[in-house]
Amino acid sequence: MLKMVFPTIMLLPTTWFSKNNLIWINLTTHSLIISLIPILFFHQTNNNLISYSTYLSSDPLTTPLLMLTAWLLPLMIMASQYHLHNESPLRKKLYLSMMISLQISLIMTFMATELILFYILFETTLIPTLIIITRWGNQAERLNASTYFLFYTLTGSLPLLIMLLFVHNNLGSLNIPLLTLTAQKLTTTWSHNLTWLACMMAFMVKMPLYGLHLWLPKAHVEAPIAGSMVLAAVLLKLGGYGMMRLTSILNPLTEYMAYPFLMLSLWGMIMTSSTCLRQTDLKSLIAYSSVSHMALVIMASLIQTPWSFTGAIVLMIAHGLTSSMLFCLANSNYERTHSRIMLLSRGLQTLLPLMAFWWFAANLTNLALPPTINLIGELLVMMTSFSWSHVTIMLTGLNMLITALYSLYMLVTTQRGTLTSHIINMKPSFTRENMLMFMHMSPIILLSLNPSIIMGFTT
Amino acid sequence: MNPLAQLVIYSTMIMGTLITSLSSHWFLAWAGLEMNMLAFTSILIKKANPRSTEAATKYFLMQSTASMILMMAITLNNLFPGQWIMMNNPNQLMSLIMMMALAMKLGMTPFHFWLPEVTQGTPLIPGLLLLTWQKLAPIMIMYQIYPSINTNILMTLSTLSIMAGSWGGLNQTQLRKILAYSSITHMGWMMMTLVYNPNITVFYLLVYIIMTSTAFMTLNLSSNTTTLMLSRAWNKLTWLMPLMSITLLSMGGLPPLTGFLPKWITIQELTKNNNFIMPSVMVIMTLLNLYFYLRLIYTTSMTLLPTSNNTKMKWQFENTKPMPLMPPLIILTTLLLPMSPTILTMF
Repeated sequence: MLKMVFPTIMLLPTTWFSKNNLIWINLTTHSLIISLIPILFFHQTNNNLISYSTYLSSDPLTTPLLMLTAWLLPLMIMASQYHLHNESPLRKKLYLSMMISLQISLIMTFMATELILFYILFETTLIPTLIIITRWGNQAERLNASTYFLFYTLTGSLPLLIMLLFVHNNLGSLNIPLLTLTAQKLTTTWSHNLTWLACMMAFMVKMPLYGLHLWLPKAHVEAPIAGSMVLAAVLLKLGGYGMMRLTSILNPLTEYMAYPFLMLSLWGMIMTSSTCLRQTDLKSLIAYSSVSHMALVIMASLIQTPWSFTGAIVLMIAHGLTSSMLFCLANSNYERTHSRIMLLSRGLQTLLPLMAFWWFAANLTNLALPPTINLIGELLVMMTSFSWSHVTIMLTGLNMLITALYSLYMLVTTQRGTLTSHIINMKPSFTRENMLMFMHMSPIILLSLNPSIIMGFTT
Repeated sequence: MNPLAQLVIYSTMIMGTLITSLSSHWFLAWAGLEMNMLAFTSILIKKANPRSTEAATKYFLMQSTASMILMMAITLNNLFPGQWIMMNNPNQLMSLIMMMALAMKLGMTPFHFWLPEVTQGTPLIPGLLLLTWQKLAPIMIMYQIYPSINTNILMTLSTLSIMAGSWGGLNQTQLRKILAYSSITHMGWMMMTLVYNPNITVFYLLVYIIMTSTAFMTLNLSSNTTTLMLSRAWNKLTWLMPLMSITLLSMGGLPPLTGFLPKWITIQELTKNNNFIMPSVMVIMTLLNLYFYLRLIYTTSMTLLPTSNNTKMKWQFENTKPMPLMPPLIILTTLLLPMSPTILTMF
């Protein structure tokens, strides 16, 4: 624990005491070194969790997400370099401090053993994200976006606090391994139904579930690049992580209560994927695709079979990396044209061929091309939902089709075709940007070679 | 104000609260409340204009009505135990009347209508005293009579306070009124656990006083009284605006700031008594509170509104206004949550 949390906390003095021309180098290097530490956590014999202290531990569900979070910080720092380069050093350091404090709370959230500590840190992640979106976003709509973000999340999570305290009074302790042993059965009474709802709604809003997803397109679009990356890659996964933790105490009611949410997820997948086909705003398209992928994770978490949990974890990691990469690509477009409209930057393959390759790779992983981990995740979730009910294959299959459609639509619109006539001055791709894309892509490729480390609780 | 007069008035105000909190005789407690009220009414007129005269008049009328009702309850209560000692179990009916009188003094719904207008009519520092010091004495009395208070009515009053405070504050731009409505909401939260564990009420009061004092002190530094003035304060006190934002987030009850701790403890106490609907309603209503704090945060530190004054010189001048206890207050407002195990052992 200390070997991860303390260095991340110490990144804050590193930011403030670095010389002005060394901030980016220092932070990127140190966060890359810190991202090597979760690799050590992967060595867990017999799926036992590694317990670092009484409050922080790391088990097969946590470790892949921790690795993703740690890997993402250097990527966020690298991605923010361009849009901050004109700001005063004080503001650069403030922005980086926000990202680092978000990182600290995220690492501790994933490692928390006790559910109240998890809750406090879950809420703690809201404040730096709020500041990043509102202070450094680019359009006037960002105020509305962060209000939606804060209030949707809080309205969902405050009943969770009440329920966690109730469970604490009932079962004596909220230690996660202990909860799996002392959990009581929930029946189908009205109060138990409300208990289930209170526990789950926080994560449904966070994932987001289809009916509660309004905050996501707003927040993802209005946030600066680092904000979009961390939102899409990690903050959404907090919801999945929480759901998978809490379902252990909510049995056997989940089989009964999960129906509406499964229906909403199935329908929402199709609806948001279809919305992607009609989007003009590039970031909005990627945001809606996040909703669509996360709906699969919700389904997997609610079906609660070993394969579905595995599929959920793999899909979360895969989607985190892919979505973050897509946002980086969209941002590289935005930095050059200062517009998010897809039609304004068509045919970029002519101008930026290497970036076209990254666009190609990102879109292929987005549509879950074999043998990437995206496919493994989606396939596992589809198989388990098929075993839950045979009818779902029609909807999940249709979703895969529409996902392929909009991913190729995005690729063809931005890369292929004739170059627009109004682009007369476009900077070539920076090495930093190519490096960023490579660092997103290489974990996906390497994990596709050996996905068993992120497959969670495999026996 | 004449320093001698200030000495007399402030010492009377402090003595009044002390007498109330230290007394065990009903009459003495009432006398302390009266001393407090009379002294405070003159503090409200610190800046002599018709607005503060109106505020002081409203304050005096409300508080003296409440004191008279309290006196009636005290006198009638003498019939039952036969003695004047503040035993902690007065008669049910008398306890109800006492609770109503004290709710009037504190500014809880349905007697909250005077609080925003009195807070608005006075300068910032008397407003601060109104919302923090004046709450102490009535809560001392409620702490002493808590076992006999009718739970249902108190919880109804609290929930209504939270609703009135949250909905009332939405349409305000004047900062003193916003803080008054936030005071009404926080009083609602405080009174929820009075019947279950009055120590939590006192702890919530302590944290609330710290947070409100920080907010008022920050506003006093730049003499801000409206949202518009607050939106221009970044120019004069650049470093203070993020601190104001953090204080407002703390008042809204967001982890990891201190303001989350009393809400957490309150909800824990209520769930220990199998009460779930109440906390759910309370937290959802308090989100409205957070909404108008968030609006203030947007105007102070997150956005740059078009201002008429963009000179860089203003924040380079040294600030000569005294800010007593600012750094400790700010630290207490933001960083007290990790101390929660220590604090919880006190209950």
